[in-house]
Amino acid sequence: MKGLPDPGRRRMTYLNQLRQLCALGCLMITFGSFSPTLDASDADWTVERLMALVREQRKPSVGFEEAIYSSVLTEPLKARGVLRFTPPTTLEKLVTDPVQERYVIQGDRVTIENPRKGVTRTLSLGAYPALRSFVEAFRMSLMGEAAQLKQLYEVTLEGTPAKWTLLLRPLDLEAKSVLDYLLFTGSDGRISTIAVRSPDGDRTVTTLLWGARQ
Amino acid sequence: MRQRYGVGALWLLAMLLGLWLVVTKVVVHSELGDLLPDGTTAPQRLLLTQLRSGQAGRMLLLAIEGGNPDELADTSNALRERLQATGHFVFIANGNQAVERRDWDILFRWRYLLSPQVGPESFSSQSLRHTLEQRLDDLRSPLAPVIKPTLREDPTGEALAILAAVSPAETPASHRGAWMSRDRSRALLVAETLATGFDADAQAQVLQHVRALFASLVGASPFRLHMSGPGVFAVEIKRTIEMEAWWLSMAAATLVLVFLYASYRSVTLVLLSAIPLTSGILAGMLAVQGWFGFIHGITLGFGIALLGVVDDYPIHLFSHLTARGSAGEVIRAIWPTMRLGVLTTTIGFASLLLSGFPALAQLGVFAVVGLLTGAAVTRWILPLFVPDGFVPRHAWAGYASTLQRVSRMKPLVPVAVLLASSALLWSHTPIWQTDLADLSPVPERQKQLDHELRQELSAPDVRDLLMIEGPAEEAVLQAGETVMPEIEQLRRDGVIAGYDLISRYLPSHRLQQQRQQSLPESHVLERNVETAVKGLPFTAGLFTPFIDAVDGARSQSPAGRTLFEGTALGMKMASLLFEQQGQWIGVVPLRAVEDRQRLKQIVTGWNVPQVGYVDLKEESNRLMTDYRDRTFSVVLWGGLAIAVILAIALKSFKLVGPVFLPILSALIVMVALVNASGESLSLFHVATFLLVIGLGLDYALFFNRSEGTAEERAHTVYGLFVCATTTILVFGVLATSTIPVLHAIGLTASVGSFCCLLFTGLMAKDKVHASG
Repeated sequence: MKGLPDPGRRRMTYLNQLRQLCALGCLMITFGSFSPTLDASDADWTVERLMALVREQRKPSVGFEEAIYSSVLTEPLKARGVLRFTPPTTLEKLVTDPVQERYVIQGDRVTIENPRKGVTRTLSLGAYPALRSFVEAFRMSLMGEAAQLKQLYEVTLEGTPAKWTLLLRPLDLEAKSVLDYLLFTGSDGRISTIAVRSPDGDRTVTTLLWGARQ
Repeated sequence: MRQRYGVGALWLLAMLLGLWLVVTKVVVHSELGDLLPDGTTAPQRLLLTQLRSGQAGRMLLLAIEGGNPDELADTSNALRERLQATGHFVFIANGNQAVERRDWDILFRWRYLLSPQVGPESFSSQSLRHTLEQRLDDLRSPLAPVIKPTLREDPTGEALAILAAVSPAETPASHRGAWMSRDRSRALLVAETLATGFDADAQAQVLQHVRALFASLVGASPFRLHMSGPGVFAVEIKRTIEMEAWWLSMAAATLVLVFLYASYRSVTLVLLSAIPLTSGILAGMLAVQGWFGFIHGITLGFGIALLGVVDDYPIHLFSHLTARGSAGEVIRAIWPTMRLGVLTTTIGFASLLLSGFPALAQLGVFAVVGLLTGAAVTRWILPLFVPDGFVPRHAWAGYASTLQRVSRMKPLVPVAVLLASSALLWSHTPIWQTDLADLSPVPERQKQLDHELRQELSAPDVRDLLMIEGPAEEAVLQAGETVMPEIEQLRRDGVIAGYDLISRYLPSHRLQQQRQQSLPESHVLERNVETAVKGLPFTAGLFTPFIDAVDGARSQSPAGRTLFEGTALGMKMASLLFEQQGQWIGVVPLRAVEDRQRLKQIVTGWNVPQVGYVDLKEESNRLMTDYRDRTFSVVLWGGLAIAVILAIALKSFKLVGPVFLPILSALIVMVALVNASGESLSLFHVATFLLVIGLGLDYALFFNRSEGTAEERAHTVYGLFVCATTTILVFGVLATSTIPVLHAIGLTASVGSFCCLLFTGLMAKDKVHASG
């Protein structure tokens, strides 16, 4: 471990590892234009209305369960925890099981805390286009920001207010290389599942537990 | 008469030829690097190499202002992309930069030899188990997409470890991935130009290109671009030199012409006096071009002013002209005195050649050749042009009585010398200048900007470094590895804030082979991986590419510098490790050194003889001090030589005293005056001493010349007064220069020639008065 002598340096260099790797050949996301693909038969049920509902029925925090399905894994990786929103732009993901971990997305910055390893690192989304597409989609959906969402994704809303699916496909080439789609399901202003699929077929499915006590 | 026209025509022809040669052949340079010496010690040579072509010299710092952080970040990114496309730069970084694809490929292929993590225990089943558990955590985190692509081939993250090692340890503040100043008011970029920092022409082109790109990028929006770095300084200095060389010569020439006209009210005289002057300038330029292959802008600007001294010779001639004798007769009569003056002044200028400092050597050649030519032209050609019976009128008639009054104040001389000496003793201004920075012509505002940007960017300030010497590349690399933990300790202890070291990028062959030997055999690793993944949810056979890669690395030949040729990392390596005169040198730039004395002690305490601490500033100051001392001894020897020649020429040692004493007194008072003006003496002041001695001798010789009548004597004195005034004017103009070198010479020479005139005049043996 020559050259990485103390935790301070290790933290620093780990950040750099990620930065370097992510930045490989990457370009900044350029904002594409949005072309509406809404179902014309249900003119009333729009992304804007859904987002308004999401904002209305938003709770300061909600529990979640998450399962990661990957070709490199024999069984899904599971995790549980709590999502917290602090308007306007702060989103916190607190994993309590199987390990303690905390991610805070605040504006442009992502802070990752791992108390078990005693490691805290902060990343700038600008330097991580790959992360940015996930994080922004997550945050915008949960925060109910329709206009911003449409700038970054091809947005398809289907179903009825009582049972809807919202499909987000990245517009940007760079984002497409790391993200196939995001699929939200829910009823009214409550998101029940979020599925994230990457181009290699790996998926993360998050179920929000609205009834659970926080 | 016919001979007169013949010689005149020949001179004209020679002038035209000279002019043609000057126009077609003379190359004018303005790069300061061309004027730097070669250095005598290893650290000095290193310093000069670094200055001339080192990475530090090629660094360009950029700052964008005038928008909110988001806008600044976007502009920074756009500018970086555009700059990259220009091909002017080795690299440009603004925070979003990536490792070049080619570098990444090499690092990835040689990861098991290059990774600082690889050791004997790295691939044991326990250690593998630990890393694989970490990878599971990573997969669960938002960073999963970053980890996944290399998981199969490099589960232990060696490539990332290498990247970590080669990435700068401290990075500036950033916003949306773009580097920012701490208050987010400036976006920051760092670039390394292909052109060296001293190549002012190439740098000017780069800067112009950058400005144009920036202007087209931001359009009418209120963004501003600031640039700093050695290249920017070089361009600025070049511009200043070119501008000043031009206007200083113009101003000096105009002043001299106007003054000459005012003194003699004769256009003919002014025109005639231009004959030796122009001849001297042309000859001087051609001589420098022939000797050095180029003439520097500073030489030109200074040299032309210097040749204002040449003007003394025609003035001597004119001031002795009377209605009785022809110009030819007059020049023959005063020639012995003039010749002696020429000889001594030439010795003074020739000493500049011996200083060993290229800048001064050029001046020396220019001045010696120009002076001799000017004198020769005055002796043999000028008289032919002087119309028969031409006697210049002297503009101020009342000077003779004034002169008499002045010469009664002889006792003033010792008083002045005494005052000057005590002023020097009690002065708060140090006599000698030791800080080279005071000689830098870069404006304070530019230096301030440079300092700010370097602080914000954590860029080295090009002052402190460690130097690792070895007979071969491998030796330097091994020495670098030996001291790397020590240097890291320095950083942790806060002795330095940061460093860069070749060993971060390139391990020695020895170390790479050690790592290679620690790699397990294929079947061992297979077993270890099997044990490690037990109970973890990784699919079977997932890490086969990893096992194969480690096996392949066992027979890989070590990675060398040449692999990286032409890549960004390769350039980095080349700047940190290079060959210089058969020796290999590793350079370790240090950042923010708190206590240099302590650092020096610690480094000496390591007991690694190949490694030494170099304070470039101290080194460059020492360099200048060395040259100054050398020049000083040249001045002393030169003074002695002049005295001996005087004694021989005057055939008496007794006469040397009266000639030399006023000059010595003048020198002391001059030094005191320069010091009182708040300036310490540098190499360039000292070099001017001999010039002052030469000028003073010229005055002294003519003052002490036996003259026939009181009228002739008065003419001589008037001539001397005109000579000295032109000299003072010319060097006074030079003293207004913002280029410290020219300022130093101008100030010293103008003050010096004034003192010389005054003192030689006061102390002259007044033969005329004695006889009349």
